[in-house]
Amino acid sequence: MNMRACLGIIQRPLALTLMLALTSCANVGGNGVDLNSLFSALKNVKQAVKPADQQEEEQIGFATAATLLGAAKPINDPAVQDYVNKVGLWVALQSDRPDLPWHFAVVDSNDIDAFAVPGGYVFITRGLLLHMRSEAELAGALGHEISHVVLKQQLKALQQAAQLNLLGAAAQFELQQHGQNTQLFNNVANATRNLYSKGLDKQDEFEADRMGVVLAARAGYDPYGLLAVLQTLETVDPKSNGMQLLLATHPAPAARVAILSAEMQAGHMDRYGRQVEGTRRYQQMIKTLVSTSTRR
Amino acid sequence: MKRWGLIFLVLMVALGAHAATQSTAQTIIATSLNSAPYSDAGTVASLPVSTNVNIIARQGGWYHVRLDSGQDGWLLMTSIRMNSTSSSSSGSSWGFGWLSSLFESGRSGATGVTATTGVRGLNTGDIAKAKPNPQAVNEITAWSATPQQARQFAQQLDIKPVQVAYLPQVKGAQP
Repeated sequence: MNMRACLGIIQRPLALTLMLALTSCANVGGNGVDLNSLFSALKNVKQAVKPADQQEEEQIGFATAATLLGAAKPINDPAVQDYVNKVGLWVALQSDRPDLPWHFAVVDSNDIDAFAVPGGYVFITRGLLLHMRSEAELAGALGHEISHVVLKQQLKALQQAAQLNLLGAAAQFELQQHGQNTQLFNNVANATRNLYSKGLDKQDEFEADRMGVVLAARAGYDPYGLLAVLQTLETVDPKSNGMQLLLATHPAPAARVAILSAEMQAGHMDRYGRQVEGTRRYQQMIKTLVSTSTRR
Repeated sequence: MKRWGLIFLVLMVALGAHAATQSTAQTIIATSLNSAPYSDAGTVASLPVSTNVNIIARQGGWYHVRLDSGQDGWLLMTSIRMNSTSSSSSGSSWGFGWLSSLFESGRSGATGVTATTGVRGLNTGDIAKAKPNPQAVNEITAWSATPQQARQFAQQLDIKPVQVAYLPQVKGAQP
């Protein structure tokens, strides 16, 4: 059993656990602790303990995030960005992947949409923020995107599209050798342009709605916020420019409302209907967006 | 807190005077208008399909509505559909009075959310020809929160985590 293989099975070790594990690994040969091997192993701990698929997910996520931010850049409003990051992380902490490096950003478009990116990136447009009334609605929308990440739906689609399973091993080797990987980056950028202009499978969207309201409820918010957002989107003219991307990549809001409401009823979500709405804090936080949105 | 509520109320009343800011919806099923936001609350009226209602507020899965007759009560959220608007504005949907007022006070010629949509577009074509911006990914990490910050932020609204089970998938729930 070599040192690397032994380390590979350890996830999120505490320092002590790690040292004990290293010692026991090094002892496998029966010759006591080999300090050189131990130091060399410690140097690689960060890579060794992180499952290869999460490392790859983070690389894919970086390239995907870079591509989307190339289409709509982050707005320069630190207070709003800080606010959305706190709401978003609070909701993400209630998910099955609380330890991902979650990064949220409001992007500079007045059209209505939000995006989930592998590895823990979530982007939301200024236009969508201006179509919501409360923190509970924001938590629901972010819960939907966080669910996409948790379920690795975009990750799987991107891997399939770019045939990254085959590229993965070679790409990681190149990354380790040179600290960057343009081949992987370019492949993911291409797959991103395709996936994010066409959208996921409809069932993936319904599944993210279903999980998103639960995450919002776990975070202490009124879980009907997402349903309220979808009902608002029903009132927006589907032929308007602001809805073009959202409707090209998602089922119609009416279909989402019908399915989500049936599922929320089956799950007795009305028990959580009196949870926090956060209307005042939301409206206070995002009002600076109004003045910037009318600038041409 | 009280002052904000008063300002909000005044704004809502002022905006309510505009027909364009009425929040109207229609029932999409025959349903009962309840006296409170509970399924076992008393029935105020029985509404046929396509009854016009004005939305006052939402509480959980219920809307507080007023009928054209002036009678008010509570309807299940999904028993109504908001009336569509001819533009991309949501200014006519309930609860956006505060937003419209900010527009109207701030900019001449800008009314409601309508003015914001389509100004900076993000359509399928923009995504399809996006040029990657790796620097922007590094920039957004500066705004990230720590779990400790997120917890403190939740505590400001007295928000606590709740145990909630995942929802069942409902087969055949298509509209």
